[in-house]
Amino acid sequence: MTLKSALIAATAIGTAGPALAEWAPTRPIEFVVASGAGGGTDNFARTIQSAMTRNEIVDRNMVVLNKGGGSGAEAFLYARQNAADPHKLIFGTNNVYLLPHVAQLAYSAEDLQPVAALALDEFLIWVKADAPWQTPMELIEAAMAEPGSIVFGGSQSKDTDETLVALIEQTTGADFKYIPFNGGGEVGVQLAGGHVAANVNNPNENIGQWQAGAIRPLCVFSPERMAESEPVSGDMGWHDIPTCVEQGLDIERYQMPRTVWLPAGTEPEVVAYYEDILTQVAATAEWQDYLSKTSQTAAALTGDELTAFIAENEAATVTVFEAEGWTTAAAQ
Amino acid sequence: MGNFDLLMHGFSIAITPTHLMLMVAGVLMGLVVGVLPGLGAPNGVSLLIPLTFALDPTSAIILLSSMYWGALFGGSTTSILFNIPGEPSSVATTFDGYPMARNGESTRALTLAFVSSGVGALMGIMVITLLAGWASQFALKFGAPEYFAVYFLAFAAFIGMGSASPAKTLVSLTTGLILASVGMDTVTGAIRLTYGFSDLLGGVSFLVVVIGLFGIGELLSTVQEGLRFRGVNSKIDLRDVLKTLAELPRYWATTLRSGLIGIWMGITPGGPTAASFMSYGVARQASRKGAAFGTGRPEGIVAPETADHSAGTCAMLPMLALGVPSSATAAVMMGGLMIWGLTPGPMLFATQPDFVWGLIASMYVSNLLGVILVLATVPMFAALLRIPFTIIGPMIVVICFVGAYTVGSATFDLWLVLAFGLVGYVFSKLDYPLAPLILAMVLGHKAENSFHQSMLLSDGSLGIFFANPLVTGIMMVALALLILPKTLGLALSLRRRKEIAP
Amino acid sequence: MTVKRYQAEIGTALVTGGLGVAAIIGAAELGTGWGDHGPQAGYFPFWVAIVLVGASLWNLGRAIVTHRQALRTPPDPLDDPEDPFLPRDHLGRVAMFLAAMTAFVIGTLMLGLYVAATLYIGWSAWRQGGFRPWIGLSLGAIFAVALYVIFEVTFQIPLLKGPLEPLLGIY
Repeated sequence: MTLKSALIAATAIGTAGPALAEWAPTRPIEFVVASGAGGGTDNFARTIQSAMTRNEIVDRNMVVLNKGGGSGAEAFLYARQNAADPHKLIFGTNNVYLLPHVAQLAYSAEDLQPVAALALDEFLIWVKADAPWQTPMELIEAAMAEPGSIVFGGSQSKDTDETLVALIEQTTGADFKYIPFNGGGEVGVQLAGGHVAANVNNPNENIGQWQAGAIRPLCVFSPERMAESEPVSGDMGWHDIPTCVEQGLDIERYQMPRTVWLPAGTEPEVVAYYEDILTQVAATAEWQDYLSKTSQTAAALTGDELTAFIAENEAATVTVFEAEGWTTAAAQ
Repeated sequence: MGNFDLLMHGFSIAITPTHLMLMVAGVLMGLVVGVLPGLGAPNGVSLLIPLTFALDPTSAIILLSSMYWGALFGGSTTSILFNIPGEPSSVATTFDGYPMARNGESTRALTLAFVSSGVGALMGIMVITLLAGWASQFALKFGAPEYFAVYFLAFAAFIGMGSASPAKTLVSLTTGLILASVGMDTVTGAIRLTYGFSDLLGGVSFLVVVIGLFGIGELLSTVQEGLRFRGVNSKIDLRDVLKTLAELPRYWATTLRSGLIGIWMGITPGGPTAASFMSYGVARQASRKGAAFGTGRPEGIVAPETADHSAGTCAMLPMLALGVPSSATAAVMMGGLMIWGLTPGPMLFATQPDFVWGLIASMYVSNLLGVILVLATVPMFAALLRIPFTIIGPMIVVICFVGAYTVGSATFDLWLVLAFGLVGYVFSKLDYPLAPLILAMVLGHKAENSFHQSMLLSDGSLGIFFANPLVTGIMMVALALLILPKTLGLALSLRRRKEIAP
Repeated sequence: MTVKRYQAEIGTALVTGGLGVAAIIGAAELGTGWGDHGPQAGYFPFWVAIVLVGASLWNLGRAIVTHRQALRTPPDPLDDPEDPFLPRDHLGRVAMFLAAMTAFVIGTLMLGLYVAATLYIGWSAWRQGGFRPWIGLSLGAIFAVALYVIFEVTFQIPLLKGPLEPLLGIY
């Protein structure tokens, strides 16, 4: 980060006058959030806002605007309507490029310019504490024995949770019943109450129930175990949860990136400016605190790395969509 | 007992300088919206919700609920002084409050109203305190079918128990349900009823609808009457206040009865408006001087006010514990809860004890504060109504539109407010109830989702709604509420007709 | 022109029924039956809209029946369907207020909220309240500034702005 900004500063001094080469915001920056207030994406955006303000990374005002309608489509449509506006940052997940595949919407992923991915949210398989299954394979074998008898709860439909359940089905040949609820919190409660058999919540959505001993995790969909932490439930911490591959479930990686975008059509200097300040945010104490509180994995992807990540993530997910027959006519 | 410790814990959260300040601010703002005819409690709370995003949920709910109490107090003020009910629930207070004030006893009328409101509120809160601990034990029993049964119960109660014609209640309810289904459906992921308009993609916000129906709608009604205030002297005389306080214990029977009516109507979705009318009617029936009601009888003020406030406070319990609000304002507040990322329902008591008990404790404090504040500030707020309508009216209009715009920063919402203003005006003129529309908008999604989830669980069998004693019980109560009140009423009137006819 | 109450009843019933029909059409496009995953997306709105149409027809029928009855029997003084829904003077006032409000909305979209609010409040105080124009306008301006301070400065919520604000350096 320091190297990069130093380079930009050096070129700035070297070439044109100090005011010209580097772009800087001239108005308040609008943070357009693709979820309602209090949602996961909202926390993400507000953490960045407060990290920027407290560490004086940006001296302009930042205004948060929640546009969570249509699973976030409202925010991305807004980006399309404000093409080339350098004072609007859009906060989302992989829904930016996945939504157009499953729903007919008046925007496409090309209407947004990726800036950075700053965190990866993990997915785990959770079951009720007194459930008979100790490993993910036991759960899957039970589902193979009696197809459709085991109920997975998840948030929204054709969204990350249902995609993951479909991916497990496609990988193993098991058949689950999937029931969509409104949000991760609700799914956690339904699991603790025994109304569904399992869920694939993010750590942050289920930590309360796990602490209370009502539910327990079986495995995490990540190539490596999660970061060391204080014990959460009993003597178990996040690092003690095995990865799914360790347990014989052959899905190496399923993570949701938390992403920042600009409306398409802005100057490259604008993108460079935001890449720079967002990389600075990733180094702040506020950001580290947010990551450990929500048990997300750190990531700071920009530029080509980010483009490659998005392409890979999109291709992999669309394969699942196609196998399930979810893709819309418009997107095909 | 656990509840008492929890309540004490709640007090430790509620009584902090910040929260006390929020309570005072909330009550004062509530008084303003209660006093102004164009703004009511549901509308005021909707206007405030976007401003609470920066607060933590406990502070936010304390602010909003305090505003609600303030609005309830403010509504009675204008009922008594100007014969203009600031709130639908204070209509019954005009019957005896205004005549008493005209007789030169405005201080007595106001004191009676405020203190019995306070007493009613305290009765309501005590019931909440006692039942809250029990509600959380219910926590995990609620799956999708149980939730659907509860929503069904709320809808059924509105149709069965409302005072309006059932067909009109049904129109209001189903209109709300259809509005709620506009936009993206969470269960199927389909985009519905947008007819190709991208403005409708995010759905129709219930806050915008509330602002139109209640804010602009009521303003239009006020404009239609030409708005001439015939106010009476609004000075508060401390000696009269004390004299009235000494007089109050005499009405203990009315107070107790009205409080119980209010509690019942608050917990079942009757709401404060129905509670105050019912309580006024019962008080008139029970009084030996029933015929003198309407000329300034003190019981005629005590009864509706006590019931109004005990119902208003009790409406918070089903909202928090089951996620089913029983008044329009509670419905708006529940919408706020969901916006702050809290899920109302049984788990709230288990997962958010600070929030729930902080709120309950704050209700004791803010209602006490409310009584004192309202007595101290009545002359000031009554003066608001002396500002010519030609100035205050447009200002209220501007506030309504600003409020609607801040909900989603969408210009389309401005047109929606205008349209729903007309709807609200026509509906209330033709006796279509508005509360079911709001209730349906807030609950529509949840009712549909839980129905859909139940169907997925049962592979399409309706038997799941009668699969265990809990869900069967709720469904039975719902069906009874739907059918019994009207059929009983019909049977009674038939019998009476038979008795009259030879 | 006066609108009678039963005419308003019939009009409202037709509008609510029309909404129901529109919803039925919209729901039918989505499928109203049962798919592989339980009810299809249009199932719930479809049946709700059927109820809405039914209830609207009921209200319509009732309005017509009571109107016929009222023509034959002496009117009920408390609830007469032949009562005017909107007497002429009421209609005039409501129409004026609505027109001004609509103008305010259009003004907000074109000039931004602050300018439109100032003009609207100023106009109303001047034309309807009998205040001098400059008093009305300054009242409106004070109100607009108060809005700015509360929303943009205190709570950082941007309101609609028009062409004038950027000239003053406010974004």
